[in-house]
Amino acid sequence: MNKAALAWSAGGLLAAVALPWYSLQEGLDSAAWLSGLWSSEDYASGAGQVAVQGKWWLAPSLLTLVAALGLSIVPMMRERRGRVLVLVATAGLVLFFAQAFGIGLRGWTADWLNALFGEMESRQLGIGAGATVVLVALLSLLAIGLALRGAFGGDAFVAGAITTVAASILLFTAWPILRILVQAFQDGDGVLVPSLLVDRLAAAKIWSLRCLTGGGRCGVAWNTLFLALCCGAGTTSLGLAFALIATRTGFRFKRTLRVLTVLPIITPPFVIGLALILVFGRSGLVNQFLDWAFAVQQTRWIYGFQGVLLAQLFAFTPVAFLVLIGVVEGVSPTLEEASQTLRADRWATFATVSLPLMRPGLANAFLVGFIESIADFGNPIVLGGDYGVLSTEIYFAVVGAQLDYGRAAALGLLLLALALGAFFIQRRIVGQGSYATISGKGDAGLPTPLPNGARRTALWVAVPWAVFTFVLYGFAFVGGLVKVWGRDYTPTLDHYVKAFAIERTADGLIWSGAAWNSFWTTLKLAAIAAPLTAALGLIAAWILVRQRFVGRGTLEFATMLSFAVPGTVIGVAYVFAFNVPPFEITGTALIIVLCFVFRNMPVGVRAGMAAMSQIDRSLDEASATLRGRAPQTLAYVVLPLLRPAIVGALVYGFVRAVTTVSAVVFLVTAEYELATTYIILRVINGDYGLAIAYSCALIVLMLAVILLIQLAVGDRRLGRRAAVLRGGRA
Amino acid sequence: MSVEFRNVVKRYGKAPAVAGVSFTVDAGTLVTLLGPSGCGKTTTLRMIAGLELPTEGRILIAGRDVTTLGATERDVSMVFQSYALFPHMSVLENVAYGLRRSGRTKGQAQKQALEGLAQVGLEGYGERQPSELSGGQQQRVAVARALVLEPSVLLFDEPLSNLDARLRRQMREEIRELQRRLGLTVVYVTHDQQEAMAVSDRIIVMNAGRIEQQGSPRDLYERPATPFLARFMGESNPARGHIRRLDTARVLVTLGPASYEIDNAIARNGEATVAVRPEAITVETAPGPAGSLPGTLAKASYLGTHMEYTIDTEAGLLFASCPKVERPLAVGDKVALVLAPRGVIVLEDQAA
Repeated sequence: MNKAALAWSAGGLLAAVALPWYSLQEGLDSAAWLSGLWSSEDYASGAGQVAVQGKWWLAPSLLTLVAALGLSIVPMMRERRGRVLVLVATAGLVLFFAQAFGIGLRGWTADWLNALFGEMESRQLGIGAGATVVLVALLSLLAIGLALRGAFGGDAFVAGAITTVAASILLFTAWPILRILVQAFQDGDGVLVPSLLVDRLAAAKIWSLRCLTGGGRCGVAWNTLFLALCCGAGTTSLGLAFALIATRTGFRFKRTLRVLTVLPIITPPFVIGLALILVFGRSGLVNQFLDWAFAVQQTRWIYGFQGVLLAQLFAFTPVAFLVLIGVVEGVSPTLEEASQTLRADRWATFATVSLPLMRPGLANAFLVGFIESIADFGNPIVLGGDYGVLSTEIYFAVVGAQLDYGRAAALGLLLLALALGAFFIQRRIVGQGSYATISGKGDAGLPTPLPNGARRTALWVAVPWAVFTFVLYGFAFVGGLVKVWGRDYTPTLDHYVKAFAIERTADGLIWSGAAWNSFWTTLKLAAIAAPLTAALGLIAAWILVRQRFVGRGTLEFATMLSFAVPGTVIGVAYVFAFNVPPFEITGTALIIVLCFVFRNMPVGVRAGMAAMSQIDRSLDEASATLRGRAPQTLAYVVLPLLRPAIVGALVYGFVRAVTTVSAVVFLVTAEYELATTYIILRVINGDYGLAIAYSCALIVLMLAVILLIQLAVGDRRLGRRAAVLRGGRA
Repeated sequence: MSVEFRNVVKRYGKAPAVAGVSFTVDAGTLVTLLGPSGCGKTTTLRMIAGLELPTEGRILIAGRDVTTLGATERDVSMVFQSYALFPHMSVLENVAYGLRRSGRTKGQAQKQALEGLAQVGLEGYGERQPSELSGGQQQRVAVARALVLEPSVLLFDEPLSNLDARLRRQMREEIRELQRRLGLTVVYVTHDQQEAMAVSDRIIVMNAGRIEQQGSPRDLYERPATPFLARFMGESNPARGHIRRLDTARVLVTLGPASYEIDNAIARNGEATVAVRPEAITVETAPGPAGSLPGTLAKASYLGTHMEYTIDTEAGLLFASCPKVERPLAVGDKVALVLAPRGVIVLEDQAA
């Protein structure tokens, strides 16, 4: 007998009898389905659908579960049981997917199926609770079978974890992106027309170069590319100036500079854009001053390329700073000292040794800036004006009056190609690692101070920029506390009241503020998504670092790849992939949570992998030889040692869920509106006060949650000598 | 309990780490897997533990086929090279870990863990953190942690490599004493030939993923079957010589003007590779006794306890270690070498 196989096949069968097979409009929490499990067309379970509704095609995959149940009870050799179980589960999965994709809302989904079997009268909705459990049970049985045959170290838990991670990445990252590809070829009726993609991609609106010749605007592809190049170059130069000051000078306010690196993490991406409008907008401070002092006409010059670039430089310079601190610190002081003993003065040393050693790191920072810029949605939508970029263009193709899914898909592909191209170049540069001069040997040298010229330049660039960044954040804060920016600077709490009013009435408290609805939705969905993100990310990291199995490299590559996909593309892809059966979840909270989880998981994976590779592998193995099963090893050995990474993954999962805009603008509905999308709409309507007040509230919320998570998970305790994680060897 | 390997192969990608290995470890014995790094000894040990599963072949523990079982499901425990003590648990929690995972109650696990600590001489250390212990104490905790589970087979993966020389000798004696006292079946991995000889009932020498030779320490040292083994087990001088069969068990070996009768069942005459142990060579001033091997001293070093000489002879350069240090010879001296027959070994050429 095999207990795990027994449990999963019995569980699957139970779900096939006791849970509605198809998805329900009203969700599972209204218990109406309980009475209709057998006979109602909408509510019937898998068994009911087969027996009463005549949906015979569900029967085969259910029968494989019955077969698996039998298999798990009959006494049998371990390997033989494994082999048969693999066969049965594979058959079940094939049959399941064949019927799920073969039969849709209007009967057979393809013409050749119609021709083969004749018209199908019935129809199928998206899979619901029952079908999902059956699918998971079949996947688990497959994993158990493989483990019995000796795959995945013979451990069913490991096999299950790997199968789960692989299947979910396949379903929620690879499949949506594949759907974009298909959509780009489809015409309005869903027919595949290969030439359509060419037409869509070659459109003048994308590639026009008229702005150079003086007549009209350039295409969005050029716009995006030009903006990204400028942003990459700008953030890298500014970031380098900051990094040099922070690591190679005796500058007094170095710590303050480092605060800069934290700001963008907890700031919704459009806050900088908003602050820029307050300063440079039509009724911003600068225009008003010019008007007052020199009677210069107030203009909208901030809207367009220059505005977006400025906002992106402010928003992403801290990221480049963070990357380049590591690069500058990675240049070995010994090499610089060697250069100085060889008669090179400070400037020659800097120019001929330090800078060339940083070159790959600089290229990496440039590409990070490039990728951030093309993926950015918040700043272009707030400040872009007529200057369209790919991410905003995709948004308008889906949400605006055009409603052209094919065009959105084609633009999405283009954006994806740009992002992946930059990502691959970046991986190659970082992968070579030739600039890493940190070795295992102790490096006793002292970092050489910057030559005077370089120091002065860096200070002159960085200090005003840093001051201005803080000033912008200051304005963003003050902007929420005055009546109407530009006209009436009377201090007021009106915007906060409007957003977050709570009224005490006879019926108790009423959350009457305009923001409460989206605020609670955001809080709830982010709170659901964060632990899921962290759990999935850390499990994936554990698998990738600790387990050896066929396809490990592919899996790792896939998780990293999904990180490079711009949010706008993921958003559109989710709309395409999940609005038709068998996976029909558009418009639900579930799709938003899934989007959060799979967009943010790669960072959890990276953090987890970095942390886990510092923990000696033999600790896991020791636990295994001491009768600790894989889940116990995870719970008692790995997770306690991973606390910092858990905190990181939880915080990141939560913060990113709260601040993200680009992916979820496509997924929100009136019922499930999120804070960021609500704010963006306020900004588009010119209601800056409320938008700013709300943004500030979000920042405070995130700081509070970060502290809470830190308190709840805590530090790891390792006795006196911390940082030694090598299995007790001090 | 016994351990049996039947034609076990382990491949990573295409390259075999273990290329077809068969052996049996008898119950109650200590068997060492010995070999240079990368020879597959650790992979073999990990396959006994179930940390790696073989690509081909079968593994039996106590007569039961465990080939596809993972580490958790085998009745085996292991002492790791790095000790692998859980740094977030106290010493007692470490030792009790395996007992708790096998379903003992907390009280029972603690009681047995305390007994285990007593067995390795660490009473009273239970509340300490592993990082507060010395290397030797950490090692003992690791042994206690593996021991309390009373496994069928206890595995040691280079357990002494992180200790200093003095402690190493003491720990290996303790391990051997414990094994004898409790009648444990132990498989021990090391790359140190001396350590292997000191602790083992039997030694399995591995090279390039295969078993080179197996036998008792004395067998391997005195009758190495291959040049690799002669080099690896202690030091030896390769020399060219002639052999002539005397009877079924004896061979006459000729090196230059000197000949030696030795026990060897080799059944052929002619040229052969001969290994000469350095400690079997006595260096006399020329002309020396009849039948000695003449030569010229090429190098001499003083090492406190003994002298090391390199001598140029007709049979090639020979390296000798001499306990006489009071009247050292000088480079260029004419010498005569007297070889003890037990230190002259005929090797089967791989090609022959």
